[in-house]
Amino acid sequence: MFSLPHIEVPRTRREFLERSGYGFGSVALASLLAQAEASSAPNQGLVPHHQSKAKNVIFLFMEGGPSHIDLFDPKPLLNKLAGQSLPGSFGEILTAAGESRSPLLVSKRKWKQHGEAGTWVSDWLPEIATCVDDIAVIRSCWADGLNHSSSVCQMNTCSLIGGRPSLGSWVTYGLGSENKNLPSFVVMQDNRSQVVNGPRNWGTGFMPAVYQGIQLREGKQPIPNLNNPEGITDKRQRRKLSLLKSLNQEFTDQHSRQTELGARLASYELAFRMQAEAPEAVDLSQETQATRKLYGMDQEETSSFGRLCLMSRRLVERGVRFVQLYHGAGSKWDAHTGIEKNHSKLCKTMDRPVAGLINDLKQRGLLDETLVVWGGEFGRTPMSEKGDGRDHNPTGFTMWMAGGGIKGGQTIGATDELGLRAIEDRMHVHDLHASILHLLGLDRMKLVYNYNGRPERPTINEGEFQTKLVTG
Amino acid sequence: MLNIFKYIMCIIFSSWLMMSSVNAAELSPEVMNFFEKEVRPLLSEHCWSCHGEKEQKGALRLDTRGHMLLGGESGKSITPGKPNESLLIESVRYESYEMPPSGKLKDDQIKVLEKWVSLGAPWPGADDSVPVRKDLGPDFTSEDRAWWAIQPLQNVTVPIPSASDWCRNEIDQFLLSKLEQQGLTTAPEASRASLIRRVYFDLHGLPPRPEEVQKFVNDQSPDAYERLVDRLLESPRYGERWARHWLDVVRYADSDGYRADGYRPDAWRYRDYVIRSLNEDKPYNLFVQEQLAGDELFPNDVDAQIATGFLTHGIYEWNTRDVAGQWDIILNELTDTVGDVFLGVGMQCARCHDHKFDPILQKDYFQLRAFFEPILIPTNQVAATPKQLEEHRLKMAAWELATGEIRKEITEIEAPYREKAKAVIKSFPPSIQAMIKKPEEERSPREQQLVALGWRQVEHNYKGLDRKLKPDDKEKVLALRRKLKKFDTLKPAPLPVAQQVRDVGQVAPKTTIPKKHTECEPGFLAIIDKPVADFMGSKRKDTTSRRSALARWLTQDSNPLSTRVIVNRIWQYHFGKGLAPHSSDFGRLGGPPAHPELLDWLTQNFLEGGWQFKSLHRLIVTSATYRQSTQHPQEEVMASIDPANKYYWTADTRRLDAEQIRDSILTVTGELDLDAGGPGVTASVARRSIYLRMMRNSSDPLLDVFDLPRFFVSVPARDTTTSPIQSLQLFNSQQMLRFAAQLSNRAYDDVAATPDEEKEDAALRRAWEIVFGRTVTKAELSMAKEFLNRQTELLSEQETTVNLPQQETATMPYRNGQSVVFNAKKPSPFYVADDKRLNPENCTIEAFFQIRSIYDSGAVRTLISKWSGKVSEPGWLFGVTGRGSRRKPQTLVFRSFGEKKNGAVGDEIVFSDQHIELNTPYYAAVSFHVSGERAGTIDFYLKDLSNDDEQLGRITKTHQMKQVQGNNLPIAFGRMVRNRNSFFDGLIDDIRLSSKALDVESLLFTQESVTKSTLGYWKFDPVPGMLQDSSPNQYEITHNDRIISAGNPRREAFVDLCHILLNSNEFLYVH
Repeated sequence: MFSLPHIEVPRTRREFLERSGYGFGSVALASLLAQAEASSAPNQGLVPHHQSKAKNVIFLFMEGGPSHIDLFDPKPLLNKLAGQSLPGSFGEILTAAGESRSPLLVSKRKWKQHGEAGTWVSDWLPEIATCVDDIAVIRSCWADGLNHSSSVCQMNTCSLIGGRPSLGSWVTYGLGSENKNLPSFVVMQDNRSQVVNGPRNWGTGFMPAVYQGIQLREGKQPIPNLNNPEGITDKRQRRKLSLLKSLNQEFTDQHSRQTELGARLASYELAFRMQAEAPEAVDLSQETQATRKLYGMDQEETSSFGRLCLMSRRLVERGVRFVQLYHGAGSKWDAHTGIEKNHSKLCKTMDRPVAGLINDLKQRGLLDETLVVWGGEFGRTPMSEKGDGRDHNPTGFTMWMAGGGIKGGQTIGATDELGLRAIEDRMHVHDLHASILHLLGLDRMKLVYNYNGRPERPTINEGEFQTKLVTG
Repeated sequence: MLNIFKYIMCIIFSSWLMMSSVNAAELSPEVMNFFEKEVRPLLSEHCWSCHGEKEQKGALRLDTRGHMLLGGESGKSITPGKPNESLLIESVRYESYEMPPSGKLKDDQIKVLEKWVSLGAPWPGADDSVPVRKDLGPDFTSEDRAWWAIQPLQNVTVPIPSASDWCRNEIDQFLLSKLEQQGLTTAPEASRASLIRRVYFDLHGLPPRPEEVQKFVNDQSPDAYERLVDRLLESPRYGERWARHWLDVVRYADSDGYRADGYRPDAWRYRDYVIRSLNEDKPYNLFVQEQLAGDELFPNDVDAQIATGFLTHGIYEWNTRDVAGQWDIILNELTDTVGDVFLGVGMQCARCHDHKFDPILQKDYFQLRAFFEPILIPTNQVAATPKQLEEHRLKMAAWELATGEIRKEITEIEAPYREKAKAVIKSFPPSIQAMIKKPEEERSPREQQLVALGWRQVEHNYKGLDRKLKPDDKEKVLALRRKLKKFDTLKPAPLPVAQQVRDVGQVAPKTTIPKKHTECEPGFLAIIDKPVADFMGSKRKDTTSRRSALARWLTQDSNPLSTRVIVNRIWQYHFGKGLAPHSSDFGRLGGPPAHPELLDWLTQNFLEGGWQFKSLHRLIVTSATYRQSTQHPQEEVMASIDPANKYYWTADTRRLDAEQIRDSILTVTGELDLDAGGPGVTASVARRSIYLRMMRNSSDPLLDVFDLPRFFVSVPARDTTTSPIQSLQLFNSQQMLRFAAQLSNRAYDDVAATPDEEKEDAALRRAWEIVFGRTVTKAELSMAKEFLNRQTELLSEQETTVNLPQQETATMPYRNGQSVVFNAKKPSPFYVADDKRLNPENCTIEAFFQIRSIYDSGAVRTLISKWSGKVSEPGWLFGVTGRGSRRKPQTLVFRSFGEKKNGAVGDEIVFSDQHIELNTPYYAAVSFHVSGERAGTIDFYLKDLSNDDEQLGRITKTHQMKQVQGNNLPIAFGRMVRNRNSFFDGLIDDIRLSSKALDVESLLFTQESVTKSTLGYWKFDPVPGMLQDSSPNQYEITHNDRIISAGNPRREAFVDLCHILLNSNEFLYVH
């Protein structure tokens, strides 16, 4: 992760040595990369495969699955049929909670068209509604998982089953970092409950750990163990580090063929530079009152997520490649019961900060190069659960994208009349990932990592770039 | 539009067409028109971007008639004239494939295609020739057949190099002759001190004790090294190290690996089986047979039953309603793993299509899966000999007879709850529900498998039954259980339970290649072409014997793959690289072996030696090749010829892996507990890392950062990464500071007898011996002394600050940040001094915790209290009751003493009745109302953090307290004030105290922040400080018995020095 722009992974130790000369020199940073030559692999061009606008991604992950039919995908028929069972013509449905025959649940939302494009957005998201001309709403997403674990896993790795690298890891592997003093792939969350599956969501699967996401928290210690231990001064640390250097130097000289030794020395230096840079990156006190207000930091409900959105902007400004932001960490969007209360609150805490982020990126000229992705691991059913909730719905749901070359003010695809299944311009998670990669200049088939003798690719060889995202 | 007449004409016309060749001249204008106007645009718009000239997904092209007839990986796409038999039509109807994936075509569009196919698929300008596809189908080329890995082992002659006196055994002869050819020379033998360290890490995964090093260095006898190797191979530490390699390959873990990541309480028996087998030097062929088919081949051998646990280590999701889908995933995962582990070929590639580079067919994949198709994974299966089973049965019978009445009563109370627990079945798909309803004997083999898998969800609910009991019922059940307990003397000890596998019966469910609908029987790789029947053995009633056949084939001397694969793995673990580069992929992508003759010779030798590992290890580690130094006098010259050291002209310097690092730290600090075997422990227990619970979703941060795999897939080799995150962990974590303090103490303890004035020098020398296994050099000694002088000076100037390394911290599963480890045996005081504001009227007390043990008595493991427990002074406590609690064992309790509403003064105990599991992370809260609308009530909140499918639970009770009356005692965390019978055991994270009875929305669980009603909020994080209050009230924790070495800056400087030794490259690398 802490690499030069455009990672070049040496194919063999020979290549590595040829490139770096012996011992530890100016290439220390390159050697911080995957040393595991046994598994790291040649890659067909680890630079952008084609021209692209997007350089960074901010992925706003609404964990638990927001209800598309209450936010972006109005279904008049749903309210007409509310209280009845799903019509037989919809066939057999498998749901997580097994209430597929429960009565259809009315959507109490008020709907309006917004922006020049007339994009439909419900009254739960009044602020995002003002940004629709920058947004491409995709109503036809679909996925394979029924439960949170496998679905969150798929939305991160393309696979229902753990063990594959996350999208952020692939992007980091493919494009490297633009700031060597900060992690390239950063993950933040709005509360301290664990995101479903925990850190393996931003793990590297079979790739070396250097490409994994680093969890960042606000405050003086954004990265675990970043600061000096309690009660230990800088001076004392420096002295210790200098002793470590002297001790290491001799051993390193004696084992000059092992280039990792030099890299390990450098990694302590790098750690110290991170100590200086990371807290600055997340220090919001440098932001103006107006900016803070833009993100909703002036109100209690929106301040928490507003801070994270603002941090995200600061991070991409500083060259962080991939920011993943969990809203409702710990499946808080999972409204099996009481969706009114649940979604009202979650929308309220998220709406303004997200709109603030888009507006702020735009006014700073960053929106063109920053792709903002919004969505959960799935949507929710038109059928009710426990009377006033909705179950998981992977067969049709909404996500949206803005910036990074996206043509705003459009709505792509459609679900059926009740919002149950995607029917037009269907975009599977594979297509979503293929599209995100494409927008970053990466070709899903050319981005290859060899593991166990298999050429592994980010979307498991599936998925297509949805051209409408850029052409409209 | 065509009218009916034209329609009929066309059909007649097209049936004629089908018998002759098709070309434009013979197509009627109507047909041409129909094709050009309706068919071609459809195909062009919806098909050709993926199945055209540029891209051929699934090896399928749809842009010519010929290619349609040829079809793709799933066979031909059209049968002219027969739309219902054409894959193209099935796919657009979304019946098999769902094409196009972006959305189903409109009905009239589908009709166009149907019509076109029924017309015979006329295509202007096309003829009937079908293009020939290369590289597909079972016709193997001669190149395929020449693939090195499937050739029989070659009878190689051991070469005789010219400088043969360097050689110690045949390995050296092979390698030296190649070195000579390349113009390379060997490195001198490593020093004795290096050699013993290298071979210790290699065979035991631990550093040698300084005394061992000394003894070996001083032993001048010529066979000193060989004797050392023999000793190491005889030690039980050997099995503990090498089992790690095998457990990586078989993706062993102690948890389910999905959301809830449920703990598998019996998985460890397999881990111990592997350790035991390696220590016994069990022949590898037997080891393989036991793991694949122990139940069939050795039905009376308990170890062989446990061995089949290998087949159960895949992931499992406890609440997937898609039962059939999950079963399919389980079988495929198992097939993938078996391919990786034993065959060393990329079977996974062939799951969806024939392998693109190697002669492995999709059919091969499903033929391999067919061996496992009949398996059943029973739960709670005991592993015992028939004799043990019989003894147990007899004793149980006596107990059952004596307790029949009591148990019947319990069953009756529980019956309605069991019915409710079964309700989960209703959320399964109707087809699965129907299977469950069928009488057992009517279920097909597949149905039996699916019912068993689905039923695990019911069993899961049964386990949680106690939590669901209404208070009255629970009291009754508990009373009955107490009665039952009196008969425990009659009851035999429970038999060991192990994860294991058997077949569903004599008949296997069908194995079908998805979408192609081709049925597969078990079979070995087509290119090897051996009939399975030769390996089947005699028919049995209870099993298909399929797995035995696979096991027999894999353990034949003549199997070219499985034999080479294991020998190559062993070599790889010794040298960090295999003779064939990819130990789990011998295919073309894995690359050819660098030393094929040596690999074949070693394999032959291994087979002749009875498939035993220890002699192979001995051969390898006693070779001159292995003993070389990492330093070569002409390093630059050698490296210019062979920079990758492909020819072994020197030894490589290698970083320790995660477990070696942790185990080394524990060894040098003197804490390592060598207890062997048993259920896995958490990382705060100082046992070898192999005995840690390997939870797939949460691993120990230290191991994690040094590339511990997550065990979702077979791992043939560990990654070795270098990152600043590792450095931060080693340099800044509380954990490492604590280790440093311990190392410092050990070094001083070891030299206790030395006179004071020489003590520091002696301790320094000792530290070097302990950590590096060698004597400190003069230069290092002076460097160290200089450091101590300067650091002491610095520390003397500094004001002494809190020194926390003695307080153990950890990360709570499903949480971020630091939590405090409370140890009931070594209780630490965590007090917040009294303040009048800390005695609120209404209040909410909240904490995150994970409890490791509870009291056997009724005593309460206290989370938070403001009380001494004396029923003469007012106060309160919040905690978890002990097992012996007569009324409510193992539940949350809020106890208070003070004035009641009726004026009396007394004790009040309110139980939440929510069951608390050990080793499970929880959020818990108690909210106490004395005024307001809800005066007189108490709300308990509880949330199992590991299970988000369960909501935050709330239980409301009533109380009689006038209010919780103030006292001047401090608030105490993890204990009561001055009370020895109250200690918490486990992790406590964030604690928050509020001056309000909070509602759900404002609980810490949803809102982790300081609010107006927050009195104190303690997070135990390094920022703002482990003992700091995050609220503006600044109620800091005092920690009276903190060990302050600051009284002696010189000793503190010594701790710093020790800390640096643990960070050094020499400690983290072996050379």
